Amino acid sequence: MAIKINNLSFVYMKKTPNETKAIDDISLEIPEGKVTAIIGHTGSGKSTLIQTFNGLLTPSSGTVEIDDFVITNNPKKNKKIKELRKKVSIVFQFPEYQLFEETVEKDVAFGLKNYGYKEEDAIKEAHNALTVVGLDESFYKRSPFELSGGEKRRVAIAGIIALNPEILILDEPTAGLDPEGSKIILNLISKLNEEGKTIIIVTHDMNIVLNNSDHVIVMNNGKIAFEGTPNKLFASDVSNYSIDIPRLFEFCLLLKEHNVNIDIDKIKNVDDLINQLKERK
Amino acid sequence: MNNLTFGRYAPFDTCVHRLDPRTKIMMMILLLVSVFLKVNSWSSTLITSAVLLLFLIVVLLISRVSFVSLFKSLGAMWLLVFLLVIIYVFIPNSSYNPNHIAFYIGNYGINYDAFYQSGYIIVRLVMMIMITMVLTSTTKPMDLTYAFEWYLTPLKLIKVPVHIIAMTLSIALRFIPTILEETQRIMKAQASRGVDFNHGGLFKRIGALISLIVPLFVSAIGRSEELSNAMEARGYDPYGKRSRYRKLHFGFNDLVAFLLVFAIFGAIVALVVIDKNFFEVNYIYWIFGFNPIF
Repeated sequence: MAIKINNLSFVYMKKTPNETKAIDDISLEIPEGKVTAIIGHTGSGKSTLIQTFNGLLTPSSGTVEIDDFVITNNPKKNKKIKELRKKVSIVFQFPEYQLFEETVEKDVAFGLKNYGYKEEDAIKEAHNALTVVGLDESFYKRSPFELSGGEKRRVAIAGIIALNPEILILDEPTAGLDPEGSKIILNLISKLNEEGKTIIIVTHDMNIVLNNSDHVIVMNNGKIAFEGTPNKLFASDVSNYSIDIPRLFEFCLLLKEHNVNIDIDKIKNVDDLINQLKERK
Repeated sequence: MNNLTFGRYAPFDTCVHRLDPRTKIMMMILLLVSVFLKVNSWSSTLITSAVLLLFLIVVLLISRVSFVSLFKSLGAMWLLVFLLVIIYVFIPNSSYNPNHIAFYIGNYGINYDAFYQSGYIIVRLVMMIMITMVLTSTTKPMDLTYAFEWYLTPLKLIKVPVHIIAMTLSIALRFIPTILEETQRIMKAQASRGVDFNHGGLFKRIGALISLIVPLFVSAIGRSEELSNAMEARGYDPYGKRSRYRKLHFGFNDLVAFLLVFAIFGAIVALVVIDKNFFEVNYIYWIFGFNPIF
């Protein structure tokens, strides 16, 4: 399921003095089965863009096509939106604030029950999802409110994964987590991608863009400023988009500048660099 | 959720926006009293309602309050209006003229006066909404609380903690948009988990609401704790003396506006005191096209 966006625009508070254009006539295609990162500074329209992908926001004009679902600017025509939301799920920023059930397993099963699963089946699926995010049996009967921040977030993500969406969208999944917590979430994302899910990450962390994503979209003032691979982005002139080049990549660029023969298009992490340096001998 | 935005502060720069909030509150009170003063003779009622309605429409135009949002808020009230009409039409009232029967349902006579009364109450409701809308959409919530605090100052003499009340009020007002935003956020998050807030039976909707209300309360309580800690960390003392960044200023424009509203108020009070039927317009005839009595 690829996402095709045609001439999409979105305007907040239309016809009031506070009118703002969050998305300004953009067209793009998000590739299937890959990890796509969407970056850009605050207010550039990233969060608005992802919310149009499963019909939470109705576009002001233009369309979003996902398989045979077409989201248009007419909310009445957007049928089967509930089924669409099962296939395209969003994990919002700080998803731990959406927990509300008495126990962890019930909370994870909540989404499934909304889609008509029977109680026992939902709980069973919930246990599977919890295993995927790395929470064992001891968590099932605990209250979600007594968990740590990182655990809460994993429970919330499990609640979405349990729905088995084909496209998983995560809005700043590592914000506010300690390095250990971020690592668990990022490993989880890679694992889900290997299972064939299309992943979209909104992030400010350029290391995630370099290490974990195949494709990157830079947004600026509601328009697309760049689209391509992360390595191409960091190798180009990024001074306009307030982007910090990852330290590793900066180091590689310096190596290249000093005529060390490496292929910077293929370096995603430290191991890649080490391997390339070894092969040079 | 979006229709909650009615009456929200709209950042224009009109002469109504620039008035002192204290003046605006006083004018609002005077106008509300004028709207709800009961004039007995119906011709005076017609005059006062027409004058007030005209005045309010002009004020709405000057202060650039959107009529669309006014009609939207009226649309949200249709059930109330419907019930009012039902109540007024079907409940017998001894003050109605027993000869003014419009039609019978079985043996029960429906009085013309009932329609007149319900129409009048609807007009008054509309005017009330217009008045409060002008106040809230031209005055920043913070200025409103300052004005309330100013009006409550005399209560300090009898040891009422006015500044604490004002602080509570301003915090409450400050957090309304934040909580609304939070509501939208949680609704979207739960919609991503397949919750449908707009369709489904009663039990489904109650279930959907629980998934919204519990996280909302959790975050609101967490927020209040953080806020109180932050206030204490910055040395907030409810009984301490506080200086103010923004001072209220009563100017010439305020005087003119106040006198204008006061004149309208005075005229209506005078009408109530005199309460004379100025001219004979047969409203029954006017509304229904025939008159069963004359």
